Order: sequence, then structure tokens, then C-alpha cells
Amino acid sequence: MFDRDPAGVRIELRELTKHYPGQPAPAVDNVSLDIPAGELVVFVGPSGCGKTTTMKMINRLVEPTSGQIRIGGQDVLGLHPDELRRHIGYAIQQVGLFPHLTVGQNVAMVPKLLGWPAAKVAARVEELLELVSLDPGTFRDRYPRQLSGGQQQRVGVARALAADPPVMLMDEPFGATDPITREHLQNEFAKLQKQLRKTIIFVTHDFEEAIRLGDRIAVLRERSHIAQYDTPANILAAPADDYVAGFIGQDATLKRLALLRVEDVPYESPLPDPALPAVAAGATLREALDTMVAHAADRCSTPSGVITYAALCGAVGTAHEQAPEEVTAGDR
Amino acid sequence: MTFSEYVVSRWDTLSLAAAEHALVVAVAIGIATAVGVGIGLLTYETPKARGASLALSAGILTIPSLALLTLLIPFTGLGWGSTLIALTGYAFLPIIRNTVTGLRGVDAATVEAGRGMGLSSARVLLRVRLPLAWPLILAGVRISTQMLIGIAAIAAYVDGPGLGNQIFEGLARLGSVNSLNATLAGTLGIVVIAVLFDAGFSAVRLLTTPRGLRVRP
Repeated sequence: MFDRDPAGVRIELRELTKHYPGQPAPAVDNVSLDIPAGELVVFVGPSGCGKTTTMKMINRLVEPTSGQIRIGGQDVLGLHPDELRRHIGYAIQQVGLFPHLTVGQNVAMVPKLLGWPAAKVAARVEELLELVSLDPGTFRDRYPRQLSGGQQQRVGVARALAADPPVMLMDEPFGATDPITREHLQNEFAKLQKQLRKTIIFVTHDFEEAIRLGDRIAVLRERSHIAQYDTPANILAAPADDYVAGFIGQDATLKRLALLRVEDVPYESPLPDPALPAVAAGATLREALDTMVAHAADRCSTPSGVITYAALCGAVGTAHEQAPEEVTAGDR
Repeated sequence: MTFSEYVVSRWDTLSLAAAEHALVVAVAIGIATAVGVGIGLLTYETPKARGASLALSAGILTIPSLALLTLLIPFTGLGWGSTLIALTGYAFLPIIRNTVTGLRGVDAATVEAGRGMGLSSARVLLRVRLPLAWPLILAGVRISTQMLIGIAAIAAYVDGPGLGNQIFEGLARLGSVNSLNATLAGTLGIVVIAVLFDAGFSAVRLLTTPRGLRVRP
């Protein structure tokens, strides 16, 4: 099968359509999309736009009416659905852990189905629980009901990763948690994906989440029509139309600053200046701007130099006027 | 003769009747559980078949036990055969109903996750739905058992086994020597059997309910 290389394979959707019998219009209409190997692509769109249906056609929980799906060049519609699904990780919002099985048994389910030897399964469970920051000794023998919502989501992700599938499908996997836990899980997951480089399709209606996690974003309108498919930075810089712009909201430039890091921007003077407010090298430009505004300064000290308000404007491609000089004049 | 003297003097008869009473109920419940859970597994997904099996088992339950036992005499004669068939028939409704309700009540997300990770539908049924529905199925079996222990007393009318003979003999000879003792012995015996079966079910529930469903958060 396509998973000889667990580091991610390309997914191609060709003229994919799902028409439920008795419905006037198709739920998903003629979608074609290429998802490059090892990238995380977010399907974002309002409820009922067909994004989940599109995703579920890839592991054939929903059978397409017409069209083609290829994973790593292989036509998945010719494979046995159960066999196919064992090679695609699947995580959903409600998690759906098996309540009668322990955390360890939940994670071990697919490797066991694939006939892995017991010792390999046990080692894999240990490795995965550590990967999602759950201590194996503490959590392996617990039951899902004994876990918090965030811990359950982690187990859900570990279970989806269990057989090291090259492809993962995730349907709002962090949706059911509180905002703080959610952001924490998102950051951890982004770090994890940097390391794993799986090909991931991630469905959400939260544009912030899409920006935070996606290598690319497909903004979908009804019937899963693709309004725009590009990197987060490009979508924020040049939304294709009013629909996409409406999805982004009013603060597109701030969102773009949040995508860039202080270390990515050319700094001005070669030495850090202890008199100026300081930001970390790994901080986002949005945080740098926040620091500047909070201190009424137009420059910040970074570990390797000083970045200016002008550099921030340059980073998002807007021309910088001299006005901020006056703001900071009294400060110096 | 006092009641206790009666029990001591007739101990052999009474204990044999009690054992037979328990046995016929146990056998009927065993058959009804195997068949009823099987019917539940086969029909829970198809509304028509599900409705038909529930209507049929409910229909059986509406036939008065005395009438059913009498109707069976031409086919299965007096004694064990008719008793066993009638009791088995009465046991179906709670078992099938709880099996169907339990299997259908499993969280849709749990089933979707199972399907999504590549469990076949048979595996989802046997490895996910059935263990999760088990406590409810067992509750159905328990209700049926309690019901049958009472109905089994009527089997004495068709010369069936059990403590019903004591009750009916006593009632038939009401006023004569030991008639009250016989009725009382039969009735109390049935109560004792019911309590013992229920204790047994408590133990079975404790031993067979998956631990993950019993733990407190």
C-alpha cells in the first residue's frame, strides 16, 4: 500500500462529487485539489459547506458519487475500505475513545489489527503516549472516563498516529476543549507535525486555527467549492474575493504579523540595546508590535539586534511613513 | 404441625421441587438469552425487522400463562416440554428490547472512530457495541428471570416441575391438614429462589461489566 514511506505522501482529488439521493444539489460538487506530501492542509469554511464530507470521502466513510482519489499515486477507490482506513489516521472532535478499553488498548487497536507483534505494539504505545506528553506509566492503564477533555484529545491524536500512517484526517480534533487547552494542544501539535511531516487534512471552521496550523489553507464555500487555496500568508495578503476577505475578518495585517517571527526580519543595529523593550527571537512580529505599542516605542531589542516598526511594515509589504517617530520622540 | 415441622418433614420433596423450579427457569433463560441476543444483534439496524421481533415478543407476553400452557398440551404434552417452551417465549421481550436499545445507544462518535480506524462492521459490533451494551442486556436478562420465576409456578397446572405444585395442592385442599403450610412453603420457596437469582446476577454484573464502564471519573 501507499504507506511504505511513513513521512507523508501526496493526495490528489479529481472532480470529486458526492450527491446524496433525494437532494436537489450535490453536497460536494466537482472538487479537484492537490495536497503536497508532508504538508498540513486546512479545509476551512462555514458549517454545512461540505468540508467534512470531502474529508470523509478520502477514507471512504462517505463513498464518492463520482471522481477520483489518489494517495501516493494509488487509486483508493479500488482498495478495500477497512484495509484503506487502517493506513489513514483519523481523529474527530468528539474523540470517540472506546470507553471499555484502557488508554493503552485504545492506542494499540490498529497496530494489533495490522498484526504487529505484541512487543512492538507495547513499545509503540509507550512512544506515542510520550509523544503527546502523557506519561505512559500514569496513563497507559487508565480508562477514557478518568481523563480530562484535553487528555482525551491527546489520546485521540496518539491513536490516530498509532500505525504511523503517512496520511492523517483530522476533523476539528481540538474543537471540544476550552480555549486555553485548545491553544496549548494546537501549539504542541504544530511542533509535532514539524517533526513528523505527515500529509494531513485538517477540517475546521476556525480561521485562526487554520492560520496557526496550516501549511496551506483551502477556503471552501458551499458545496465544497474552493474559494481560495494558498498559503496562510498569501491568503491574508491577497484574499481572492469578498467571501475570503469576510472569512479573514478585519485584522488581516495583524494576523500576517502573527505568522512571522522576530528572527526572520532583518534587524537594524548590530547590537541589542538594553535601553529598549526586549522581545525573544522566537516571538511573533505581532508580539513585537504589541511590545512596541505597550512601551510607545518604535523599536524593540532582540537577542541579535534591534528591530524597528519600519521593519515590521516591510515584512508585510506596506510602506512606512515617518509618523511613528513623533510618537516615540518624547521617549528618547 | 407447625410450618417449620412441615418444612423439615417434607424437605426432600420441597428441595427437589425448588431445584427443578430453578433449573427450568435457568434453562429457559439460557435459551432465551442466546436466541434473544442473537435476534437483537441481527435486527437492531433494520427498523422493519426490529419492529417485527419486538412486536412478536410483546405479543407472546400478552397471552395469559395458563392459556398458553394449556394450548401447548396437544403439541408438547404435559410436564417439562410445555413449561420450558412457554417460559422461554415469555422471556424474549425484555431481552430483545434491552439488546436493541443497548446496541443502538452506543455513542455515534465511538462507532465512527472505530469505522474510521478500519474496524470492519462485524468487529465494531462485537468489539465495541456489544461490550458497551452488555450492562443493559444483562439487566434485560435479569428482569426476564424474575418474571419467569413467578410464571413458573403456574406450570404446575400442566404437571410441570417446580414449587407451583405445593401452592396449588395447598389451595385445592384449603382448610385440611397442612394445606396452608404447603401453600406457604411453595410461596416462600419461590421468594428465596428469586432472591438467590438476583444475588447471582449482581455478582455476574460485577464480574462481566468492563472495568472501563465501572470506573468513576
